[in-house]
Amino acid sequence: MSLRILKAAAAALALSVLAPALAPTPAAAQSFDRPVRIVVPFAPGGTSDILARLIAPKLSEAVGQPVVVENKPGAAGNIGADAVAKARPDGHTLLLMDIGSLAIAPSLFPDLSYNVEADLAPVGMVMFGPYVLAVNPAVPAKNVAELVAYAKANPGKLAVANSGVGALNHITAVALARDLGIEWKNVPYKGGAAASRAVVSGESTVIINGATATLPFVTNGQLVGIAVTGDERLAALPNVETFKEAKLPLSDAGTWQGLLTTGKTPPEVVAKLNAELNKILALPEIKEKIAEQGGSVRPGSPENVKTWLATNIKSWGDIVRAADIKTN
Amino acid sequence: MELFDNLLLGLSTALQWNNLFYCLIGVVIGTAIGVLPGIGPIPTVALLLPFTFGLAPASALIMLAGIFYGAQYGGSTTAILVNVPGETSSVVTCLDGHEMAKQGRAGPALAIAAISSFFAGTVATIVIAVLALPLGALALKFTAVEYFSLLVLGLFAAVILAHGSVSKSLAMVFLGLLIGTVGIDVNSGVARMTFGVPALADGLDFVPVAMGMFGLAEIIANLERPAVRQVVSQKLRDLVPSRADLKAAFPAMLRGTFIGSALGVLPGGGAALPPFTAYALEKKLAKDPSRFGKGAIEGVAGPEAANNAGAQTSFIPLLTLGIPANALMALMIGALMMQGIQPGPQVMTEQPELVWGVIASMWTGNLMLLIINLPLVGLWVSMLKIPYRLLFPAIVLFCCIGTYGISNSAFNVWLMLGCAVVGYFFIKVGVEPAPLLLGLVLGPQLEENFRRAMQLADGDPSVFVTRPISALLLAIVAIMLLAMLSPAVLKTRKRALAE
Repeated sequence: MSLRILKAAAAALALSVLAPALAPTPAAAQSFDRPVRIVVPFAPGGTSDILARLIAPKLSEAVGQPVVVENKPGAAGNIGADAVAKARPDGHTLLLMDIGSLAIAPSLFPDLSYNVEADLAPVGMVMFGPYVLAVNPAVPAKNVAELVAYAKANPGKLAVANSGVGALNHITAVALARDLGIEWKNVPYKGGAAASRAVVSGESTVIINGATATLPFVTNGQLVGIAVTGDERLAALPNVETFKEAKLPLSDAGTWQGLLTTGKTPPEVVAKLNAELNKILALPEIKEKIAEQGGSVRPGSPENVKTWLATNIKSWGDIVRAADIKTN
Repeated sequence: MELFDNLLLGLSTALQWNNLFYCLIGVVIGTAIGVLPGIGPIPTVALLLPFTFGLAPASALIMLAGIFYGAQYGGSTTAILVNVPGETSSVVTCLDGHEMAKQGRAGPALAIAAISSFFAGTVATIVIAVLALPLGALALKFTAVEYFSLLVLGLFAAVILAHGSVSKSLAMVFLGLLIGTVGIDVNSGVARMTFGVPALADGLDFVPVAMGMFGLAEIIANLERPAVRQVVSQKLRDLVPSRADLKAAFPAMLRGTFIGSALGVLPGGGAALPPFTAYALEKKLAKDPSRFGKGAIEGVAGPEAANNAGAQTSFIPLLTLGIPANALMALMIGALMMQGIQPGPQVMTEQPELVWGVIASMWTGNLMLLIINLPLVGLWVSMLKIPYRLLFPAIVLFCCIGTYGISNSAFNVWLMLGCAVVGYFFIKVGVEPAPLLLGLVLGPQLEENFRRAMQLADGDPSVFVTRPISALLLAIVAIMLLAMLSPAVLKTRKRALAE
């Protein structure tokens, strides 16, 4: 029954009570004096959650403190992000999420309760997962050229399923239509799973979504793969061209998972966390597990993430404003 | 035979040691809460929901299902022995069951109740196995249009079949629909009635609302009543019913099973309808109706079979369509979603071992219930002696922990406590909270599917009547409405509910 969770809770409780009594390892003595939390602003079971649970035990060894994963779902990730933004700025509260959502949030929610760039301090990028553009087999298109031709001949007929208004795959679909000069319906669903199912059943006809979620349907023939984002073709779909090869815009759209902490955290603490994160991402077992999630590790510096955020807050924001996508 | 293959697949899941173990835990908890008045399966399942996350989906559902049908067994035990119905569904069992106990025939009454339940449970398992496939195949044809019509049917059925006043049920459904609109709208992304509170952006969580309105409100109401509980001291040695008893009970058992199976599938049937209907039927068919209320064994066998069969077949809409037949099934949907399984017609094809495992576990669970119930009657009766002053604070504490655990949010705890006050008010003014919960669960889906269907059909509402499945569902709604308004049905309904 509840035993597993109860045991885990009891262990966490015992650790948090005992922790101050334990002698911390010398390396981490100055900076980490109590348990570290990784806040995942989504329900358990998603990519961010799985990544956090992969990293937590390794990070715990590195900083000599227990590392607890805490799911704080709600409001498109903003509840969890807000909790981290308002935590004590000492690097003990971390945020692991798809930073694409963070880049969209300021444009989508004008009264956001925190400032993405000022109240959160990037630690480092974790992984990139490409998008797969796929269609229901009833659509008479097997590649990008045929799809674009069909869309131009039948304006408004194709229906692109997305994971929710303002979700990254919604914005991507809007931007694609804008850049290709085509017209299609954007149909919102509650999450990526519901969107995939609707395209498999033929209720909607096109999907742009993460490789992990979409690949099974493409490999068993329920969906037809059209193109993938990222630098190279997917091993599982050697015949499906990349966005770059097909001369499509937005070739780096996809899931960018990053680790952040509270803004104003001392730079040396951020540097220490970044070094440990990159060490963890270099481990073969972690690389392998992340590949299972349909992505590849992206170690880098905090500045990488900072630049990425600044660029995308602007570029996604332009699309959001141009398409007049609103949430309130 | 695909049916046997499926049942075999299900049995191979249900008979795994861990699943047998969770099934046993489920039915034992279910029996225990069935025995305790005031604590029903809904708050219990809601309470255990956050804890099932660590389990495999099949184990979680098997355990939660066990609690549900286990409660139907336990409820009859106290109904017979102490004239306290542990559950709404066992109210009818009090009528003749307790009379039998007073006449010194508690043993046969308990045994017949258990045997009827087991028989009905076995038949209902087969009914589910046979009907689930055709229903599941049909379900694959469901798009937003069909879902909308199905949800309309579900909501109307909930109002028409709910017991009590139709106008009160309607009011509660609409209140449920209204609070179901709180949060960011899926189709347009507009935040509605959130008052700028981020915790409301995803709408009101169903579990705290259900826990507050059912569990905690019931406790508050119980505190008002004097805790007078009389336990009839009975020798339970003579459990075995006589041959004449069995002969009298068997046809009633058959009829009760049939009624229960049919009414259980209907959304909104509720726990009270099958046993009440079965009792009314037995009384009507009996050669000497005056025996009823004075210890007629058919009056125990029929309703007991009906409530157990109904409890189980109410899983059909959930397992095949992802549509909850009642508030408890809505909680089961929550359990599925927490496991990352989006409930719906595709669950049947994508997770066959889960669906068939749960179905097969119902049979193993019923067998366990038969075995544990007969010897443990004495223990269940002694549980009634736990004073409420110890029991209630423990329940409130567990409810708070459970609600907080859903998304590590203190907001949900306050929401639950607020709903407890509202739920107490509802009890005081005599309205049932169940239609509200159905509105809360079905409302957002209703709106989402309607607007999606409209968007995909370019705003042409004729799709609802030109697509055959949708047209059929809406026709059933129309027939139900006409039938409800006809005077003959109104009269029977009144009489059946007055019994």
